[in-house]
Amino acid sequence: MLASQIAAHSQARTSEPIIRLRGVTKRYPGTGSAAPALRDIDLDVFPGEFVAVVGKSGAGKTTLANMITGVDRVSSGEVIVGGVSVAELGENELAVWRGRNLGIIYQTFQLLPMLSLLDNVMLPMDFCGLYSRKTSRDRARQLLQEVELEEHTHKRPSGISGGQQQRVAIARALANDPPILVADEPTGRLDSVTSETIFKVFLSLVGRGKTIVMVTHDESLAGRVSRVIYLADGEIQAGTA
Amino acid sequence: MNASRPAPALTPSGAPETRKPLIEMRRIVKTFHTPAGDFHALKGIDLCFYEGEFVAVVGRSGSGKSTLVNMITGIDHPTAGSVFVGEVEIHRLPEGKMSIWRGKNLGIVFQFYQLLPMLTLLENVLLPMDFAGVIPWAQREDRARSLLDLVGLGDEADYLPAEISGGQQQSAAVARALANDPPMIIADEPTGNLDSKTANAVFAIFTRLAGEGKTIIMVTHDNSLARRTGRAVYLSDGGLVNSAGQEARR
Amino acid sequence: MIRPRWRKVLADLVGNKARLVLVVASIAVGLFAIGMIATVHDVLSTDLRKGYAAVNPANIQISVDSCNQDLIDEIRHTPGVKDAAGVFNTSLRLSSDPGQWIAVNIEAITNFKKMDINRVSLDQGVWPPKKGEIVLERNKLADTHARLGDETLLELPSGKTHRLKLVGVVHDLTIGSNDIGGGFFLAPAQGYISNDSLASIEMPDTFNQIYATVTGDPNDLANITTVSNAVRKKVEDSGAKVVNVILRRSIDHPNATYLDAMSGVLYILGLLVVFLSGFLITNTLSALLNQQVQQIGVMKTIGARRNQIILMYMLLILIFSLLAFLVALPLSSQASYALLEFLASRINFNLLAFHLSSSAILIMILIALVVPQVAAFLPILHGSRIPVQQAISGIELAGGGAHRSGWAERRIRRLRGVSRPLLISLRNTFRRKGRLALTLFTLSLGGSIFIATFNVRATLDRMVSQVGQYFLADINLTFDRPYQIERIQALLKQVPGVAVVEGWGQTRAEVVLSGGKVGDSLLLLAPPTGSQLIRPVILTGRWLLPGDDRAVALSEEFLSRFPGLKPGDTIRLHVNDQDIDWTVVGFFQLAGKSGGLMAYTNFNSLAEVMHTPDQAITYRIVSTQKGLTDAGQQQLGNRIENTLRASKLKISDITTGQHLSNSAGQGLNILTVFLLIMALLMALVGSIGLMGTMSLNVMERTREIGILRAIGASDINLMNMVIVEGMLIGLLSCLIGFLFAFPISIWMSDTIGMVIFDHTSPVNYTISGYAIWLAVVVVLSSLASLVPARSASRLTIREVLSYE
Repeated sequence: MLASQIAAHSQARTSEPIIRLRGVTKRYPGTGSAAPALRDIDLDVFPGEFVAVVGKSGAGKTTLANMITGVDRVSSGEVIVGGVSVAELGENELAVWRGRNLGIIYQTFQLLPMLSLLDNVMLPMDFCGLYSRKTSRDRARQLLQEVELEEHTHKRPSGISGGQQQRVAIARALANDPPILVADEPTGRLDSVTSETIFKVFLSLVGRGKTIVMVTHDESLAGRVSRVIYLADGEIQAGTA
Repeated sequence: MNASRPAPALTPSGAPETRKPLIEMRRIVKTFHTPAGDFHALKGIDLCFYEGEFVAVVGRSGSGKSTLVNMITGIDHPTAGSVFVGEVEIHRLPEGKMSIWRGKNLGIVFQFYQLLPMLTLLENVLLPMDFAGVIPWAQREDRARSLLDLVGLGDEADYLPAEISGGQQQSAAVARALANDPPMIIADEPTGNLDSKTANAVFAIFTRLAGEGKTIIMVTHDNSLARRTGRAVYLSDGGLVNSAGQEARR
Repeated sequence: MIRPRWRKVLADLVGNKARLVLVVASIAVGLFAIGMIATVHDVLSTDLRKGYAAVNPANIQISVDSCNQDLIDEIRHTPGVKDAAGVFNTSLRLSSDPGQWIAVNIEAITNFKKMDINRVSLDQGVWPPKKGEIVLERNKLADTHARLGDETLLELPSGKTHRLKLVGVVHDLTIGSNDIGGGFFLAPAQGYISNDSLASIEMPDTFNQIYATVTGDPNDLANITTVSNAVRKKVEDSGAKVVNVILRRSIDHPNATYLDAMSGVLYILGLLVVFLSGFLITNTLSALLNQQVQQIGVMKTIGARRNQIILMYMLLILIFSLLAFLVALPLSSQASYALLEFLASRINFNLLAFHLSSSAILIMILIALVVPQVAAFLPILHGSRIPVQQAISGIELAGGGAHRSGWAERRIRRLRGVSRPLLISLRNTFRRKGRLALTLFTLSLGGSIFIATFNVRATLDRMVSQVGQYFLADINLTFDRPYQIERIQALLKQVPGVAVVEGWGQTRAEVVLSGGKVGDSLLLLAPPTGSQLIRPVILTGRWLLPGDDRAVALSEEFLSRFPGLKPGDTIRLHVNDQDIDWTVVGFFQLAGKSGGLMAYTNFNSLAEVMHTPDQAITYRIVSTQKGLTDAGQQQLGNRIENTLRASKLKISDITTGQHLSNSAGQGLNILTVFLLIMALLMALVGSIGLMGTMSLNVMERTREIGILRAIGASDINLMNMVIVEGMLIGLLSCLIGFLFAFPISIWMSDTIGMVIFDHTSPVNYTISGYAIWLAVVVVLSSLASLVPARSASRLTIREVLSYE
């Protein structure tokens, strides 16, 4: 994946944004007068973009990602993802919507330890019912092949390395072929070589038209994505959006 | 899987060679055996820490820095090599004894505070004193209160952890780490979950403690913080990298 | 190919073996108890009675002076009579060991082939007996010391003896149904002979007892009464004299009251156990689901709908339930069978074809399928509703605003001077109040049932010892006819070891029913004024006073046989061929209603009616030695017998006081054994519940243990904390259980009291139930906390903290 290709996708800016945040503020209850985790965030992400949200620990990056995925609710403001106002969905609708439209990748992988890699990848398809059982099995194999884990299909997550687990998590995030991937510190627990392989997987996905929002504190990755949002103390730093 | 970058054994510069180190790590190797193959988290580390130093252990995620301090705290065991703290080779202690030793000699601060949710801040600070039994009973409460004062939580002593902010919880965790007046404080990403202002406040506490003669080892991925400590040790993929150069930049 | 979500369910099931065992055991133990209780209850209350009805017991028993086969044939053709038979009954003494005589009731049967009422079943040897042979009933067989093939000796009215060969042992379920004053347990040994042998034992070849069964409903007393009146008329018309009439339904086994008592207890226990296991299951499953919160969060982020998640966990729980059911079913069946077989043999029932009762299986299935689902529903719903972010982080992020410290927490916070580790235990205990309440309720319910069972057992023990108060004499001696009291006293005073000799009046009497007909027989006893050999337990009214004239104190059975009868009323009794009114002064409690009808009056009142002043037929003898054992009393009895024999006086029965009180209390004793078994069952449910709850509690705390390690907690610190917490919950539950035990004890005791005595009496609170439960709680709660805590403390901190 070349920088020029990313640039090409960046031109999609002319189209409608696939993710739109307006005046998003998040305050955690119980923190009282302390500064809000997010303060009045406006952000547009366009289809095909690879956006890195960079900031130090505590800057509000994870909170921002949680607002997009609907994993956590805004205190005020509006989040529209793929034309849907996230705030208007109930917890249950949200789960269904998320399953079909978003793939989420966590720093801690969050694979289900008792299931094989194949079952882990099949699980979202099982829940959402977009694919027949036969198709979802083929699809899961295909996805594991794409992240180069086809020979580990029947292993448990504990049987593979962290980097491999993260690749399974990516395969799982892609199970229902969602247009958007949100990754929260996906390389946070990986060594630099492994991180690089994960990052390359992301680049190739962007190359295939996926929109990716990646939270990271690694500024060295910043130069290699289409756009970088700098967050500090809950606010987007001027000139980065 | 891992970059086979050379990891030169370094003598810590800036520290007088003649002094006897407080903590001495000899050829520490840590290998995690995963069914996917062995993962070498630490690849033969030789490292010394001296009394009264404020050292930052810096590295990116996955570089092995947490594993390194886990070797010092005894939270994890090396695959090979030995760690001496003073005269004690800590990994020869059984788990129960190690815990007692740790309670008296080390204060540990975690990234996620790890206060006990059912105890007030005061009680959280008193707890290590109860375990270690070094501080006389009558002095414990006064000491705990003065430690909370020290970290700016004098008024919140009777709050439960859930009733205060993350930064305050971390400050309380620092107070707890100081409970038995240990000579060493080991902090693993103590500011990792805090906003920059709170992080600065916690860091200031460390600086002050270092000034009072405590040995402080702080793990961080934040270069800007590392520059403000007495010495920084850089880790990458399980090996030490040129910290002397970084030091010189200061 | 299994869907991945079901595969997760399966993996959750077998992933943690210890947990699987705990959860299945918790559910299974409740099911086991319910299955056992329901089965025993069902079999006791229906099957055993059906078994009794199957021997075709007589509905009508008429004692006559004498009658012949013609009358029997006539009765058989009376409308309403299904079948009739005549037998000859007499009381003699039998000996198998030289010098050892025991009373035996002999029933002579004329035509064994035609005898279809009061069927007996053959245990050993042959049936029926031929001329010169005897068959004995199995219950008192041991007392006779006779073995199959032995020549037994019968003492005849003339004083001669006659040999009969013991050829068979039979089982007769009707023992106690035709006797008075004692029922099954006090009934003498029973022997069966052919009428061919009657002449050789100096008896006429005739009938003095008529048995009849009825057509129509044999369990409808009104029906039986109607038929009985017709039969009775036939008897009187034939010129025979009716001595007494006893009516019994086909389900009225002589020991039915004990069955009813056990059924009553089982009903209460069953009800409580259903609750207990419900709470146990709820508790276990909510602990289980707490450990699943993070995974629920993950599944929600990848698109799982709430219904899908709920379904997954419902299935998981269904499988747990099914496993528990499969474990509980055979165990329940085995245990019920063992218990029922024991009970049946002791209270003279037949356990026919044993099977788990269908209602028991139904209840088990219902509880296995429904209760766990209901119990788990709230935790599942809660788990599926937790915001994803909170579920995944595992940390309740800054949710502090929602945290309100409760009363207990504030109280504990004020406890200065309590060490911090102890404080953690205290705080932990009270942190999750819902769980704590559930745990406490489960454990205290289990404990209180256990303790209550013990208390009721002690109450029954007291009643058994009260029975002894009616048999304070060391020897109970009955002659064939009354003798001058002074003469007997003088004679017996010569026997070494005899201290006191009291002459008692004793006769059989009949209650005179309205219309002047004689009804049920009763035993009328007349101790001398101020006798020290009886200390009755009064239910209502009072005991006899020295000045009372023609006054009677009646046994508890009168209360149920004649409802409305109360102290101050008069009762007409047919005594010595006269109908005489007696004033009822009170009712006393013996060993329960199955003891039959008994009455006490003053010696002089009876002597006057019998025209035997200064004479007595029975004598109560007290030894110079206090507290003689049965064997000691027996020796005294032998000495007395030898003396009397030498004086040519004829004894019809001589029995030790111990033997009588033991026999009378036997039914109650069986009840106490039964209650002990129930107590053990409750202890089993309670302790497995305790173990499971404690273990799951500690399993949840792995992370905390890691933190404590990191700040210097030694092994001992950790163990102490966990044990203190376990003990605290255990002791709290004990305390509450102690309180609950009072009402439950009273409930059970009253149930038993009403069934056996038609009267409730105060509960005996015994320390042993409380002490044993306390010990069980202390030992088990520390064990149940220690084992998982040990394994948790063995994890390195890195492993523990990486749980995040």
